[in-house]
Amino acid sequence: MQSKTSFLNKALYKKNISRTWIPGLLYFVLLLICQPISFIISTANIEDDWYSQLGYTMEMRLFEHMSSQPSATFSIVISIVVTAITFWYLFNRRDSYMMHAFPVSRRSLYFTGLASSFTVSIVPVILTAAIMSVAALASGAGNISCVWYWALITAFTTVLFTSIAMFSLMITGQLVTGIVFYCIFNFLYLLMEIAFRLTARILVYGMDAAMNGIQYNCFTPYLFILDKIKIISNVVTDDDYTKVIDFTYEYTGGKYMIGYTVFAILLIIFTYQLYRFKKLETVLDFISVPFMKPVFSVGMSFFISMVAGAFVAGMIEAIRVLSYDGRYAIAIVSTLIIGAIIYFATQMMIEKTLRVFCLKKTIHCVIYSVAALAVMLCMRFDVVGVENRVPKLEDIAWAGIQNDYTMVFTDEMEIEAFRQLHQNFLEDKKELRDINYNYRDVDGKRIEIRYKLKNGRIIIRSYPVINTEASVVSPEYLAATQPIIDFLNNPGRIKQHIIGNIWDDCEVRGMELSTIIDIENGKDYNFVYSNFDELSTTEKYAKFQRVYDAILKDIDAGKLFQQNFAGYEYNYKQNQKRMLYNDFNFTIYNKDKVYFSDENTFQDYVDTYSANNPSWHEQNIYVNLNLDCTNTLKALKDEGFYTSDEDLMTNYTFDKKYEN
Amino acid sequence: MIQVSNVTKKFGDFVALDDLNMHVERGAIYGLVGPNGAGKSTIIRHLSGVYKQDAGQVLIDGQPVYENQAIKSRYAVIPDEIFYFTQANTLDMMKFYKDIYPNFDEALFKKIMNCFPAINPKKMVRTLSKGMQKQVAFMLSIAARPELMILDEPVDGLDPVMRRQIWSLIMSDVAENGLTVLVSSHNLRELEDVCDHVGIMNNGKILIERSLDELQTSITKIQIAFEGDMPKLPEDIQVLKKITNGRVHTLIVKGEPRAAEQIISQMNPLLMDVLPLTLEEIFIYELGGENYAVKDIIFKQGFIQEKH
Repeated sequence: MQSKTSFLNKALYKKNISRTWIPGLLYFVLLLICQPISFIISTANIEDDWYSQLGYTMEMRLFEHMSSQPSATFSIVISIVVTAITFWYLFNRRDSYMMHAFPVSRRSLYFTGLASSFTVSIVPVILTAAIMSVAALASGAGNISCVWYWALITAFTTVLFTSIAMFSLMITGQLVTGIVFYCIFNFLYLLMEIAFRLTARILVYGMDAAMNGIQYNCFTPYLFILDKIKIISNVVTDDDYTKVIDFTYEYTGGKYMIGYTVFAILLIIFTYQLYRFKKLETVLDFISVPFMKPVFSVGMSFFISMVAGAFVAGMIEAIRVLSYDGRYAIAIVSTLIIGAIIYFATQMMIEKTLRVFCLKKTIHCVIYSVAALAVMLCMRFDVVGVENRVPKLEDIAWAGIQNDYTMVFTDEMEIEAFRQLHQNFLEDKKELRDINYNYRDVDGKRIEIRYKLKNGRIIIRSYPVINTEASVVSPEYLAATQPIIDFLNNPGRIKQHIIGNIWDDCEVRGMELSTIIDIENGKDYNFVYSNFDELSTTEKYAKFQRVYDAILKDIDAGKLFQQNFAGYEYNYKQNQKRMLYNDFNFTIYNKDKVYFSDENTFQDYVDTYSANNPSWHEQNIYVNLNLDCTNTLKALKDEGFYTSDEDLMTNYTFDKKYEN
Repeated sequence: MIQVSNVTKKFGDFVALDDLNMHVERGAIYGLVGPNGAGKSTIIRHLSGVYKQDAGQVLIDGQPVYENQAIKSRYAVIPDEIFYFTQANTLDMMKFYKDIYPNFDEALFKKIMNCFPAINPKKMVRTLSKGMQKQVAFMLSIAARPELMILDEPVDGLDPVMRRQIWSLIMSDVAENGLTVLVSSHNLRELEDVCDHVGIMNNGKILIERSLDELQTSITKIQIAFEGDMPKLPEDIQVLKKITNGRVHTLIVKGEPRAAEQIISQMNPLLMDVLPLTLEEIFIYELGGENYAVKDIIFKQGFIQEKH
């Protein structure tokens, strides 16, 4: 018999363990396979394998192995499995009534259940870590701290996910619903963000690319933990991948672990309060906590109807061109209708009856609809200033634009100039929003603007633009867009951002121009490249440098890498007759300066491997040559890349000759 | 032992218990009877500490029951549907009861087990028949040496021999240890044999709560016959029901039977017999006034006529 103040009940604890030990055992076996067994097998032939030839030590192998081990993935599954089995009695009237009729307090039931869940899901982790440590030490790895850091991450994530599982199971009277809620809660913030972004993508000006900017934050713990709380093992090899030259490791995410643990403890206490006051007659109810009923009903109605309403507007727009206001009106009406339907559908789920159409619920639905309408109107009138938002200069790490080419600006003056252009662009939103509606026959494309803030966030905006050379476009539109084109076509900026930051201090190490020769009596063709093998390296580099100088001249003359807002179809025939089909590229190199890739930066692509690799000091540049690049073409001819003008072929000629 | 005062419980808009009052003396065997949906199981769940009342008090030995581990360890509950842990056999359940009931008597349990030879103690309880599961529940509950047993449809599903066995175990515990029993059942014939107090429930209220003797003398069946038509009875006699068969009239009379007998005898009947009522008859006639009278339904040529 437990004392009146006891949190744990020994008899119940034993019973809980006897019901959950099977999933615990399976979990242990899985961990053993993934960890010591897999490690022993992969390192069994270390004397002969590729790793030992590179100079990997057993410690490096251990850290590489442990850094690749899933932690949160295991615990997110085992937590809900064990917790659901432990608290199974809450989802069955007979079991629930009997368990609560026993002389065991709810406090004992709750905390004993919690303790047994932790035991079954954490003990296998500790045992695995202990066995893994023995295996690693026996294999000759001296430092086994990574094994225990993995165990710490897995144990802490188990505590976190168990707390979420208990909360999810406590707010419903149905087991399956509890498990569904668990999945939803783990990804709730992400789902809400996706819902907002999907809506914004269709309805908010400039947010077309909103789905590209999703970054996991702490409200989506599973993904955030995988990203931030881990073991980083960094084994660096030489340029030719023949020898390990450095090895470092890092344990990340300690502060997040503490934060999440505090959250888990608070959630466990809060869930206990829910359990204390839980009415057992709510067993088998869809939602058993009164305050969650309106949250569920309104939340589901709002998010689903918002996304669905935006989709309806988007689908209608796909059939016929709509003005911005027309699209919004359709979205609002659809959102309100779908929202009301979902509101009553959720009421049916909660009340477990189809008879929910009463005056009281209708009034609630009207109140909800008015609130939803207010939110939609706030979006329409950009109350929070999303559409007009251009970040402050001091907050920006870099600013970038993607049109025909990608440019990223890190210099403060350039960023400020770009900001001003962006702000100027947004001055006359009414004109800009409806350009596709007002100028249906004018070709155009989309440009994307990104700002990476110093806090790590990335702001992405995407705008439809139309050909500024079209005669019908308004002066207001020209005033908003032409400065951006001029900014992008500045020769200095082209060199700095399209060729790259080493453009004026580089060695041209490679250059290729393809010429096209007929085969099979003109039915097919081959590309042929001059390789200048007869020349020494110095002679070759000098030759490439001369052509490179000519390229720079053509850039200065506005003949290369020029951008506009015209669509692909604009002046298609003339362009085809001007653009060369011959493939041309060159490689620049600076041994002292790391090449800054505008494209990779814009995409926020971080390649830690390449960043440590000397090859990142060089870059290959592809150039779409055209007949106007007279300096470059002359230099290529003079340097022997081609001999006669017949070696050059425009897209038009190529299509005509080889169209079949 | 049990004191329920002005208890109200609502499930949404439905009032399951409506200002209910109930009182059970220590050592009594209290039968709780009532039609389906009267609220019997609901009040039993309150007494078991499963439900919390919206208003009023549920006290056992003067202490509130809800979340009161000390009080709950002094009584045992056998609900209509019994819960056993998955994979647990009778011995496992015995160990569990032993751990949670401070007075659990293992020796007594083994002794009682001998009375139920058909039960294999090593077989999973959930795989036993419903009747056998009930027997296991009784074995465990009696061995817990409770001061109070709360039984909801306790012998439902048991064969007659087993019913007798179970009741004899309970009665001997009542006699030897002063056990108090609250039993809810539809089997009024059986309750009549074992109960000394009865509470009749309907619509979430206790209509009548009395000792069985008092109850049986508070309603009487009087058969009378007169030479001619039956004279009008004085208003002092509260007739719940009158059935006429030729010249013989059967009256169900509420109140002191001797007073009614005296008044009627002054009317010179040819025949007058005073007969006691069974609990089942009392139940039916008492609830008649609560719109729960058994209706005489005649099936005739496809039509259903109700004859009041």
